[in-house]
This record gives sequence, C-alpha cells and structure tokens, in this order.
Amino acid sequence: MGSESDRGVFEGDEKVMDRSYKELLKLRRFPHTWCPGCGIGSVLKNVAMAIKELGWNDKNTVAVSGIGCSGRMSGYMNLDAVHTPHGRALTSAETIKTIRPDLNVIVLSGDGDLASIGGNHLLHTSRRNPDITVFCNDNEIYGLTGGQAGPTTPKGAKTITSPRGEPYSPLRLGHLLTQHAPYFYARTTVYHLNHFKACIREALLWKGFSFVDIISDCIELNGRRLGFKTAHQMFKWFDERFHIVEGERDHLREDELGIARAVEGEVAPPAEKVEKKPETPMESLKPFTLEELQRFDGTAGKPIYIAYKGKVYDLSSSPLFQGEKRMRCHIAGKDLTKDINIAPHGEDFVFRFGAVGRLKE
Amino acid sequence: MKRLLSGNEAIFQGAARAGASYFAGYPISPTSEILQQAVLNSEENPEFRFLQAEDEIAAAIATISASLAGAKSFTATSGPGFSLMQEALGWGHVVEAPCVFVNSMRVGPSTGMPTQPAQSDLLQIKAGSAGDYYPIAFYPNSVRECFLLTVTAFNAAEESLSPTILLSDAFLSHLYEIVDLEDIAIEVIPRSKEPLGRGQRLFTGTVHDKMGNLKTSDPEIYRGWLWELKDRHHRAAEKYPLFEYLPRKGSETLLISFGITSRIISSLKDRFSVFRPIRIYPVLEKELNEVAGSYRHIIVVEGSDGQYASWVECAISRKVMKVACLGGGFRLKWVQSQIEECLKGTKK
Repeated sequence: MGSESDRGVFEGDEKVMDRSYKELLKLRRFPHTWCPGCGIGSVLKNVAMAIKELGWNDKNTVAVSGIGCSGRMSGYMNLDAVHTPHGRALTSAETIKTIRPDLNVIVLSGDGDLASIGGNHLLHTSRRNPDITVFCNDNEIYGLTGGQAGPTTPKGAKTITSPRGEPYSPLRLGHLLTQHAPYFYARTTVYHLNHFKACIREALLWKGFSFVDIISDCIELNGRRLGFKTAHQMFKWFDERFHIVEGERDHLREDELGIARAVEGEVAPPAEKVEKKPETPMESLKPFTLEELQRFDGTAGKPIYIAYKGKVYDLSSSPLFQGEKRMRCHIAGKDLTKDINIAPHGEDFVFRFGAVGRLKE
Repeated sequence: MKRLLSGNEAIFQGAARAGASYFAGYPISPTSEILQQAVLNSEENPEFRFLQAEDEIAAAIATISASLAGAKSFTATSGPGFSLMQEALGWGHVVEAPCVFVNSMRVGPSTGMPTQPAQSDLLQIKAGSAGDYYPIAFYPNSVRECFLLTVTAFNAAEESLSPTILLSDAFLSHLYEIVDLEDIAIEVIPRSKEPLGRGQRLFTGTVHDKMGNLKTSDPEIYRGWLWELKDRHHRAAEKYPLFEYLPRKGSETLLISFGITSRIISSLKDRFSVFRPIRIYPVLEKELNEVAGSYRHIIVVEGSDGQYASWVECAISRKVMKVACLGGGFRLKWVQSQIEECLKGTKK
C-alpha cells in the first residue's frame, strides 16, 4: 500500500492521518496480489477512504468487479462483493441497483474488463444511466496475463502483442461516455492525488451513472517495456502527458484531467426547414372538378396536379413524380387526401408546392 | 378460471406463482413472448422488474446478479442465446445463485431454423460451460406442465442453490391449451439465501474456501468444493424423480421420448410401452434401469441425433435404437415408419 508516512506530507495540514478507512479493507487477506509500484493499491485505498468519509458501510454498499488485476479489488473490501465473469461487472452492478435501490453500488475494475470484453455493456449500461459509480483502473495494458495491448493502449506503444508498436488508435472513453446527457466522466491519475480524491468523491455523490477513468501505472508489465525504471518515473510521465483543468466542463480533451458532466437531456437536432408557399385564399383559386383534375396527370407535357383537403397543388417540379407520373401509390390527377393521411410522411410534403386551384363540391 | 394459454404464457405465470420478481431477456424466437409478458406484468405490478438486455450475455448475468441481490429471477432464450449464456451458467453454479434459465429449443447449430422445434440442446445444458457442474433440467410436454415445472424449477433452484434449466421447444412454447391455473395447487419454496448488503461476503467465480478467500492452486479445496456441489445437486434432484411410464401389456418394445415428441407419438401407446422422462438431467438412472429390464427393444425417439439416447445407453449400459426427428420434421407417420424399420432390423 505504499509508505503512508510519506503520503501524510501531501495531505497538507493533517499530520495525523485518519486510518479508519482500514475497517473497509480485508487486512487478513494481505499481503495483496499486486506488484510493488502498482497503481491499484492507491485506487483501492482512496476509494475506501472516500466511502468511509461518506459514512457508507457494509450494510449499504456493494462492490462489484470484473476480471484482471483490478478485478481483485472488490475481494479486498470488507463489503458484500461480487466478482463477476470477465467484462460483466457493469451489468451485474446495474441489476443489483435495480433490485436493491437502497444499496450504494460501486464498480472497481480495469480498462480491459470494462472497455474491451465488457465494451457492449459499457455502451448500454451507461445509456440506461443506473445510479452506480464506476472506478476504472486504466493502466493501458492487460497486466495479469503478461502485458498484451489493450483497448486503451496508446498508438505506437510496444507490448508483447504489438512488438512493432500498437497499430490502432486507442478507445477514447471520454468521447464514448459523453455522448448522451446526463453523464459524468472524470479523468484523473493516481499521481495527482488531491485531484484523484476529489474526482472519487464527486463521482460517488453523482446521481446516475458516473465513470472515473483513473490513469494508473503498471510498472512491471508495461512500464519497463516502455523504458521506465521505476513507478515514480511513470508518474512523472503522467504529469507530462496530462494537466488538470478546473471548473465545470462539458468535455475533456485527451490531455486534460478533470470532470466532464452534464445534467440536461439531449439537445434536439435543428429542425428541418420547410419552405411553405404563401397561402392563397380559397375563393380566388380556380375551381376544378375531379374529371378536370384527372386530365392533369403529367402525360403529353401536361402539368401534374393532385388534390389535398379541397385544394389542388401543382407537383410538376417534384422529382418523385417524374417518369411514370406516379410516386409509389400516389397517382397524378387524383384527390390524394386519404392517401396522404395514411402515408408515412406528413402533409408538409404537399404544402411545399403552390396551390393552383380548389376542388368543386 | 379456465383460460386459453400458450406454453410461453404458462411459463411466465409459473414464474409469477413461484414468486419471481425479476426477468432479464433478449428478444429471440421462440421465447420473445416471455419478455413481452414481463413488460406487461411490470406495468401492473411495480414490484416486478425486467431488463431488455443488450445481449443474452448481459441477460444471463443480470439474472444471476438479481438472484444474489435477493430476487427470484429468471431468463428465457433459445439455442443460440443459450450458447451465449453458458458463461453465466457456470458462474451461477460457483456463486450459488438460485435462478431459472428457460431454453426453448429450435433447430441448430447457429441460427439454424429459427421457427422450427428441436430437442438438440441437451448436451448444452450439461456441458456448455467450462468445467464440471451438475445442473437440474426439466422438460414439460403440455401447457399445464409448463406452469407446474416452472414452479418446480424455481423450487429445485432454491434447494440446489444454483441455476436450474427449464427446457421447452418451439412447438410447446407456442402451443395453446386450456388450463385453469388457479386450480393448480403447488408448494413454493421461499428464498433461503441472504441478499446482498448483509455482511462481508465475496461472491466470486474463482474457487474459494468457505471464508471467501480465493484458493487458486489447492486441489484439496477444489475437490471439497466440487463434491459438496455435486452432493447438494444430487439431493435436490432426488426430490424430483419426475417421469411418466405407460406400460403396454405384451409389448416387447419400449419407446423413450420426452417433450413435444412424446405428444407426437402419444397414439402409439396402444402398441408400445412409452417412457417419458420429465427430469431430463440428472438422467433418471434408477428409473430407466427398472423399466428397461423387461423390454427386448428400446427405441429413443427425440429431436436430435441421439443426444438423449447416448445418456440412456450410459445409464442402462446397453445399446438402444434411435429415431431422430431432425430439422423440425416431427411427423407421426414418418416416426412410425422409422420405428418399423428399427424393429425389422432386429428380426434377422
């Protein structure tokens, strides 16, 4: 869990650290399974601290995780924990929240689990917006299996399955999860500790689906291959790659750390402009009988007229009425009031054309 | 009140009688009606929740998670969806989640013939997921039985603390019969498992000891866990040795068939003895042995290329003859001619 005496210095005035968060950890199972220098320990500790701070406990909180190094996190928490098959943590968490709305449900998992094998569930669970909080230990690698390229591995990174450099662009979780409001997407790193803590807390308090993308390090199975000697060197690399942005944001750029959130529903797409010809008063229009109307069926250079709700319209300029003088089931020279009422389109299509007459009673 | 109900509706009503309050599913022929029933029911009854999942993987995981969270839950699918659910089925056995998986069989493999019935997912219920596990599966042959056995499946799930499987087929799911559900009395076993939020347990698919500590390199722990699972399932299954045996005096031939096939050949009971297993898995070894001894010929009539027949052969240590109704071709005349062929072969 790192040396806690050093961490105390970063936490400002509080010289004596509150260690009560340890109640939430299964210390009897320690030492844990993770390598020295791994970021997951930091994720586990800070999530436990935030939960403790909010007063949540084993009677009202459930941890769910998937498979992988980070999937082991739930097993170290003194909570009822569900360790699902690979990639299924989100579905499981959503269902638990559905059945038991009184429980706080958190998901502790990794980028491979949530974004690759569980990618479909990520799309759809986030769309259904259940009130769960997801902590994604995003170390950009499949660590447990030995360092294969994952869905978030940066392009060009060398891994054991991409020895010449990862050929594909990484999945941008920030873009993916900020498509439909409401959303909560936070990006932080295990190095930017205070920002990290703030993001965890905000996410836990968010009503709805919240996702914290925690950029974390895997020194043993990723960092060394990339040329880093220690975990600390990777942290400095995070500091170079990312910078914190303050304030309310809708979206985050790829090099920004912060919280992107939106409460409002989707912005409706701009309405299609419908050109309406100016209305002509009924009386001034030329009267047609049905027999007269029938002659204007477009044959032999004649214009195409149709009647709709008592008015006669000139559809000669319609590209849909060219050729056979009919558009699917609409026939030129007829009263189409009934046809258009049951047609899949609205009457706007007719009003685009000018009225040239009226039907005689 | 007497009502005209389809097999799918009876399955849903059975689940409701058993106290199910959660359904997760993905549209698939021939069980989409169960999903629709769930939606309708949730509108009348806010206690009942459903999820139309993004795929069968999510539907199965949701079913098991709902069970862990404290609800009686079930899902329904067909062969291709059941293939996707295998992962969750194995998980459900390890985390001890009582729930019911309904599999209405259609012709496979893959998309196969989506509207045609088959009985070819038997091996999938036993061996579709990785590793050893011992599911309990029932297979009704009427709308009334669809109702009864759904309740039974929920009861067996509570007793075995695992997912149980209710089999059906495309014919039976869409078969309409008159039943009086209120008239049927059946015992319902309440939930026994503590729901989530009551302690510090770990529900994991990884092998673990009783304390919930992961033990991934200890054969002793694994053996202990597996024998306990096997024993628990055995005891639960023994309570439901369900079968139907119609002996015909003087007949030297025993027909074994189940589900919709047993309905198709029901008129042959005047010529042959008929044995219909209702609990499909674990195989009714004792009962089959007792019955089979007095017949010279045993013919298994089923909608697959000998899946159940191979289990019968194992159970009674004896070769049996097979009539395979494949590709949805369940015709009495054809079955009859095949049976004659089988018997002709034995006369030489």
